Amino acid sequence: MTAVAAHPVSSSPPAGTGLLPSGEPWQLIDPAGQPVTEAGPLPPDPTLTELYRRMVIGRRFDAQATALTKQGRLAVYPSSHGQDACQVGGVLALREQDWLFPTYRDSVAIVTRGVDPVEVLSLLRGEWHCGYDPHQHRVAPQCTPLATNTLHAVGLAHAARLKDEDTVALVLLGDGATSEGDTHEALNFAAVWKAPVVFLLQNNGYAISVPLAKQTAAPSLAHKGIGYGIPGELIDGNDAAAVYTTVQAAVERAAGGQGPTLIEALTYRIEAHTNADDATRYRNSDEVAAWLARDPLTRLEAYLRSAGQLDDDGAGRLRAEAEQFAAVLRERMNADVPADPAELFAHVYAEPTAPLREQRDSLLAELRDAGEQR
Amino acid sequence: MTSTLDAATVTMAGALNTALADALAADQGVVVFGEDVGTLGGVFRVTDGLAARFGQDRVFDTPLAEAGIVGTAIGMAMNGLRPVVEMQFDAFAYPAFEQVTSHLAKLRNRTRGAVSLPIVVRIPYGGGIGGVEHHCDSSEAYYAHTPGLRVVTPASPADAYRLLRQSIDCPDPVIFLEPKRRYWSKETAQLEAGGPALDQAAVVKRGTDVTLISYGGTVATTLEAAAAAAEEGWDAEVIDLRSLSPVDDRTLTESVRRTGRAVVIHEAAGFCGYGAEIAARLSERCFHSLQAPVLRVTGFDIPYPAPALEGHHLPSTDRILDALARLQWDDEPDERWLDSGGAHA
Amino acid sequence: MPDFLLPDLGEGLAEAEVIEWRVRVGDQVATDQTVVEVETAKAAVEVPVPFAGTVTALHADPGTMVAVGQPLITVGPAAAEEASGNVLIGYGTTASPGTRRRRGRRRPQNHSAGPVRVISPLVRKLARDAGLDLTAIHGSGPSGIIRRADIELAAQANQAAPATPLAPAMPLAPATPITSATPVTSVPSAPSAPSATETTRIPLRGTRRAIADKLTRSRREIPEATVWVDVDVTDLLTVRTQLNARTPDRPVSILALFARFTVLALRRYPELNAHLDGDEIVIPDHVHLGFAAQTDRGLVVPVVRDAHQLSARDLSAALTAHTAAARAGQLSPAELTGGTITVNNYGVFGVDGSAAIINHPEVAIIGLGRIIDRPWVVDGELAVRQVTELTLAFDHRVCDGGTAGGFLRTLADYLEDPVTALGDL
Repeated sequence: MTAVAAHPVSSSPPAGTGLLPSGEPWQLIDPAGQPVTEAGPLPPDPTLTELYRRMVIGRRFDAQATALTKQGRLAVYPSSHGQDACQVGGVLALREQDWLFPTYRDSVAIVTRGVDPVEVLSLLRGEWHCGYDPHQHRVAPQCTPLATNTLHAVGLAHAARLKDEDTVALVLLGDGATSEGDTHEALNFAAVWKAPVVFLLQNNGYAISVPLAKQTAAPSLAHKGIGYGIPGELIDGNDAAAVYTTVQAAVERAAGGQGPTLIEALTYRIEAHTNADDATRYRNSDEVAAWLARDPLTRLEAYLRSAGQLDDDGAGRLRAEAEQFAAVLRERMNADVPADPAELFAHVYAEPTAPLREQRDSLLAELRDAGEQR
Repeated sequence: MTSTLDAATVTMAGALNTALADALAADQGVVVFGEDVGTLGGVFRVTDGLAARFGQDRVFDTPLAEAGIVGTAIGMAMNGLRPVVEMQFDAFAYPAFEQVTSHLAKLRNRTRGAVSLPIVVRIPYGGGIGGVEHHCDSSEAYYAHTPGLRVVTPASPADAYRLLRQSIDCPDPVIFLEPKRRYWSKETAQLEAGGPALDQAAVVKRGTDVTLISYGGTVATTLEAAAAAAEEGWDAEVIDLRSLSPVDDRTLTESVRRTGRAVVIHEAAGFCGYGAEIAARLSERCFHSLQAPVLRVTGFDIPYPAPALEGHHLPSTDRILDALARLQWDDEPDERWLDSGGAHA
Repeated sequence: MPDFLLPDLGEGLAEAEVIEWRVRVGDQVATDQTVVEVETAKAAVEVPVPFAGTVTALHADPGTMVAVGQPLITVGPAAAEEASGNVLIGYGTTASPGTRRRRGRRRPQNHSAGPVRVISPLVRKLARDAGLDLTAIHGSGPSGIIRRADIELAAQANQAAPATPLAPAMPLAPATPITSATPVTSVPSAPSAPSATETTRIPLRGTRRAIADKLTRSRREIPEATVWVDVDVTDLLTVRTQLNARTPDRPVSILALFARFTVLALRRYPELNAHLDGDEIVIPDHVHLGFAAQTDRGLVVPVVRDAHQLSARDLSAALTAHTAAARAGQLSPAELTGGTITVNNYGVFGVDGSAAIINHPEVAIIGLGRIIDRPWVVDGELAVRQVTELTLAFDHRVCDGGTAGGFLRTLADYLEDPVTALGDL
């Protein structure tokens, strides 16, 4: 494997034979915050510090969104608490010209990418199906039908190749999505076309309530790569350094014309599927506790402190920054967004068709009559 | 848009081929892909010669995966290309149905217009070719029922050229239904992209007594029936809808208010079929002009039959004439729907 | 949102101290559930709430005093149990019913037998445009469906004037001045009469059928009564002769004078110009005067619209014109429908009185009999005078004998002594 990265870090982890993943998930920093030196060099400290900062903010955002849901200000919020390393590590490894294809659970990733958090929450508060312009930060709309966005990512990436543009698409998917046909087709198309796509698979162990054992009989989800001729990587998804390094290497592979990579990141969904789910029906608290002990923020904080990159003042400043972020978000979320019924008809086609204009006029007349009767 | 052929005799498949070639030449962003469309030139030869002429980056074969074809087309369109994809047969488009209805139809609306998907999904549809199972379906109602999609179907070679060129240029996603039994129909015409717009119906025969409404592969059948009707004393007007969604209400309403009688003809099963929508619209808009109920002549509500029985299922001239006879001429009501016994006052 | 006021808990106490709330805002409470413990001067008391619902406000903190009669707790209506609360993927259902827009709703017409079946919406519209009542039209199609031909027939014939069902078809000459004592006119060809040697069957079809249905309906629905009076019209005839001598090119017929005086009398008795709509008597502000005319097609009742605005001369001209048009079959639907009252000169048939059939849905029909010489008492002495009999058949639901009699008397006075009419002109 050639190492052409600008950063002084090896471009790929020691892998299994060719396309197969390693037997154990690859890790750079262990849960206690100790570097696993034989695994390879760490990203530079500024990068690690930034990873930590973004995870702190992201975790605070996640908690705030959860609270907003309990207050009835959001219709639903699928939390990524516990998956922070994937959310942040994956996104920070992207270049500006790359695209992110998230699912409904990846709000923190989208915020990390730079999209306005109020716009990110537009879908979840029920204001509109997508609150941001995808072209602005190159983030596709939050995808609800699982796995369907994998094909979009492959298409966009392939188009970049056809146009001779340097663009890589990072698509986020979960363990449940790997059972959908679209994932299979996307991996296949990507491999055949050598599309510059990175598949970051956040395996958090559950698809709502269905555990991994009922989702697949494969030795690991990363093993599926070989079936398509795609290298599969198995990593510790709670290790931000490992996530960042692996995704970056895969981006470089893709940009270099060597095609797609399938990265399986082992992680855990600390909260329930959404706020209205009762996870105690299908998981026990011991399991949750065990994963809490592997918290991505805790371990990176421990490393940074031991490396002298973070002290109490610094941690305090980060906490304050995160609190400020949350306070601003709360404030802005208090403002009601006026919903314009006429907009229902505005974007169905490039130009509203004649039958649609009729329907729009009819609805506006209804509203006028109702208003006059009040 | 310039025409590429002087008036010449051309088949519908040939006209479509020319339209694709002209579109590929006119816009570098156009890409054509699907199963067997590259080297083979398509199972109906609609993409014949295009890969050789424009190269494998513009015209190419994909793995056998319809959801994949439409899904990747969406991604390509998000990155600025204009994909024209082919589903090999109507029933084989079903695996792509989720990508079509959940994303192709919705992405513009979902992003408030920020994302535009100028994609054409070409689907050969309909029967009448003695095809085995799954090769003769008519799925237009599913797509027409999906807001956000345009659904278009040509009935003649010249219109096939025109509608395909316009569909490729259109910023909205278009489901382009090609009546496969008319692929070999011929017409002497000059192919041009200008003319009636994408959302317009066409009065292909003027008449005074009744409006016959059809589209795609059934228009030719309807014109034959109109000629036969003339011999029996009915002067029928024939409308080719061309665009199923959006539908051209104005042309339909003007015609039916003038004739006072209407029959809708399509191959697809009648129950919840496209004709039901037309009948409802005509009943709303032309109520006081109607001399008789709006009738439909359609396929039966059965899975498309095997070739041996296909002829009984498809609308025929005879069946259309039967419907014409029931349109309450001579002030006589259609007795089918009267109660026996006449208990009502 | 009921407030529960602190009751008098014992022998005229004025206040109590709140010790402890047993519920919080948002809790559901049932009737008689203990919500608070209070202490009075006498004892600690648990207070139950007298109604159920959701607690929306507690009006005193523990340790504070509340006066008797002051609000203690507010309880709103019970939260709807149908609301789902937050669901996996969204806000869930809400119980709020939402407001409903009011819309002016037209009630459908009363159809005792259900909607009338018509062959097409177009024909139904034709009927409506012609002002035809579909329930009165016989449908000649299968299962009684009304066909276009039925509408066209009904529009031509309109509803029959229930004049003299006994009268054979004879032409009417309302403009003919009645100067002689014999009002007999020429006898036209009559419909084929049954011969004595065989039984003939004449089917009731078309106009005949339509008229028959109309008459039957009138008799079936209207509880009518009749009043009549003999009138000395000698002076009227003299006045008329003088009038026509002045303007011979614009004569005034007896029927026209009769019609004019009828319209005048209706001013005083407008109920006779009315019609029933459901359970309301509708009195219009106009008089559309129908008059019976016999034609080759049968009995026709042309309508002179806005007769209340026409002079006697205008009326005369209108009556003449309408009669001619009726005979030529050229009356439009508007000229055959919409009448508010009908007059009938059956005197031309040579008879005096008639218990006429009211032209449904009108409420009165006034008849004029033949004018003949009769013995009469004038100034206490027997004399020979020109006398005619007026009859008024009226819908007794709409008015009583006083009104009907008053109207007829008024009309009789105008005819007997035209000078008195001057006062009301």
